[in-house]
Amino acid sequence: MSKFLAVVRREYIQRVRSRMFVLVTLGAPLMFALFTVVPILIAGIKTGGPTRIAVLDETGKMFERVRDSAGVGRDSDGGDDDEAKTDEAVSGSANQNTRGRMEEMAKASAQNYEFERVEAAGRAPAELRAQLDERVRRDELDGYIVLPSDVLERGEAEYYSRNLGDVFTRGQVRNAVVKAVRDARLDSHGVGPEVMRAVNRPVRLKATKAGGGQGGEEDKGQGFFIVFGAGFVIYLTILMYGQVILGAIIEEKETRIAEILFSSIRPFALMSGKLIGVSLVALTQFAIWGVAFVGLGAYFAAKGMAVSFPRIPAGVFAYVVLFFLLGYFIYATIYALVGSMVTTSQEGGQLAMPIILLLVVGFYLAFPVIRSPNSTFAVWVSMIPFFAPITMLIRIVSQTPPLWQIALSLGIGFATVALLLWLAGRVYRTGMLMYGKRATIPEVLKWVRQP
Amino acid sequence: MSEQKPTLNLERVTKRFGDFTAVDSLSLSVRAGRIFGLLGPNGAGKTTTIRMIVGITAPDEGSVELFGRRVTPELQNRIGYLPEERGLYKKMRVGDQLKYFSELKGLSGRAAEEALERWLSKVKLSEWRRKKATELSKGMQQKIQFIAAVMHDPDLLILDEPFSGLDPVNVELLKDLVLELKAAGKTIIFSTHQMEVAERICDDICLINRSRKILSGSIREVKSGFGRNAVALRHAGGDGVLEDPALVASVERHSDHLEALLAPGADPQELLRRLLGAGARVERFELVEPSLNDIFIEKVGGDV
Repeated sequence: MSKFLAVVRREYIQRVRSRMFVLVTLGAPLMFALFTVVPILIAGIKTGGPTRIAVLDETGKMFERVRDSAGVGRDSDGGDDDEAKTDEAVSGSANQNTRGRMEEMAKASAQNYEFERVEAAGRAPAELRAQLDERVRRDELDGYIVLPSDVLERGEAEYYSRNLGDVFTRGQVRNAVVKAVRDARLDSHGVGPEVMRAVNRPVRLKATKAGGGQGGEEDKGQGFFIVFGAGFVIYLTILMYGQVILGAIIEEKETRIAEILFSSIRPFALMSGKLIGVSLVALTQFAIWGVAFVGLGAYFAAKGMAVSFPRIPAGVFAYVVLFFLLGYFIYATIYALVGSMVTTSQEGGQLAMPIILLLVVGFYLAFPVIRSPNSTFAVWVSMIPFFAPITMLIRIVSQTPPLWQIALSLGIGFATVALLLWLAGRVYRTGMLMYGKRATIPEVLKWVRQP
Repeated sequence: MSEQKPTLNLERVTKRFGDFTAVDSLSLSVRAGRIFGLLGPNGAGKTTTIRMIVGITAPDEGSVELFGRRVTPELQNRIGYLPEERGLYKKMRVGDQLKYFSELKGLSGRAAEEALERWLSKVKLSEWRRKKATELSKGMQQKIQFIAAVMHDPDLLILDEPFSGLDPVNVELLKDLVLELKAAGKTIIFSTHQMEVAERICDDICLINRSRKILSGSIREVKSGFGRNAVALRHAGGDGVLEDPALVASVERHSDHLEALLAPGADPQELLRRLLGAGARVERFELVEPSLNDIFIEKVGGDV
């Protein structure tokens, strides 16, 4: 036991003391800030002047409508087809942020349109188009819309642009035309603006878990969000620390210390010591970030900004922590096992990649599971240790399964961790006896059986 | 340690890797307080034997008994091991890693601190304690690795090619340290293929080749049992005597003398008499023992 602790201590102290640790601890939040703030700033940069669009209005009465519709957000427009199709579950809170941001960016650019009316004045359409094309070519215009005289009946309009890759402008133009045509049609049926507003008043669906009684708290899809958050953090942790674990396991092979160690300590104690040591480093790093994050939140809250931390029921929170630990250790021990087979960390990285895909598969399995959390399929995948961290959590937040299933899932998971670790120790010890050679799978299997 | 009970006893130990038999039914015993040479060419099975002794691998057949018991993790603490494949943590301070290694052998705290100071000063590296391993020369690293093997005051010390790559000054330094440990009653197993070194410090040897034991015993026994007579000779005249095949098997000429290997069964006294009888003037006549190197080459040479 004291030898195990010696390993944990060395792994921890050596890493926390390293310049790399300090650098990552300070640098990562900066990078994070950079990656979230900078794209918004960049996207908001206005390049050039306003977008100049000509409207060739063959109906002669649509121009004002189009011009006024541009720059009006989609939401007030109500029932857009695309939006209705989106699965409510998917577009839960997780996505709301991103979508909101996209819309804001689009709105910001919407204020920058210059519409210009082009009169037909008896000229042939082909001639007019040639003229407009020429103006676009000379950079006097960025694009033009053609509204045929039968646009209200046939519902077809055309948009010509120099830059079709500019999806924001394209979307805005489309929205403007759609809204203009729709309003014109409603008008022609005698539906006034008051009626339209009344019709378009949004409907809000309040979702509450059944059986929660009167005080049942409204569920804003938080559960799903929490699970995906936990899954994402597992993924991130493994991406960050998988390589560190790999390096820690390989270190003694590369420095040829392994033989001294194995003449002093059992392989299992060494492996678990290394794993725990590196994990404590990760924990330290996350704790520093967590404290900084909460501190920052408190600071902003004190300054009167609206800061809301997600509220998670204590029971669910405990499960999230447990399954996070399970997920982390499952994948961390896989890295340890890979490390025990290879001689350099580059090799290990390549070998570990397919395993990380298992984690991604877990994310996809979440969708069928949330639709029927108590189906046989869901029960089975929540027992497989590689998927359990996400699938079982999904079941817990949706229709909490019986306790024995949760316990069984955790039991299988942590037993797998121990087994993988034991395996890694054996493979490592035998692999050490042949330096500089990567083990083949049959060899590894043979080593495991060897006394 | 009592003289009767061996520190280490291997009984018909066999280890196979797949179809390859690395150690084949090897029996040997190492007496307490002696320096035991485990000799043999590269690939003879020395390292595999040592790994079974220190508990890294288990034998397929046979038994390994240390201090009269099977090797357990607790017993591992009483062994010091300097492997042939050895290294240090590159970015760790010398003092820190030595303390770590000794902690893995069950030594910590004040005692570890004292042992560290004592040994660093013995190998004259005290001022390097806070340096990282990468800053040390190869010879210095090797001395640090030696300390890692002895710092926890083991009763059995196993050194696998401890002097390879060292300059003569440091070889002498380590050799003296090994002899010092022997004087303190420690048992030492010394594995090498360099016979000159083994000859100078070993009390007992075991020569293995191709996974099998060729011969074993004290150096004296081994040499006398080798049944070989050679004479170092400096003389003038009487050359014809050396050409008698019944007396002299071969002659090896050196700068100021020659070495005559006597024919089997020939008596050195007879050679001296015949030389004097032939009117030779003999300036030097000395019986030479076979060196371990000669024995090694004779026993293994044709085989390699």
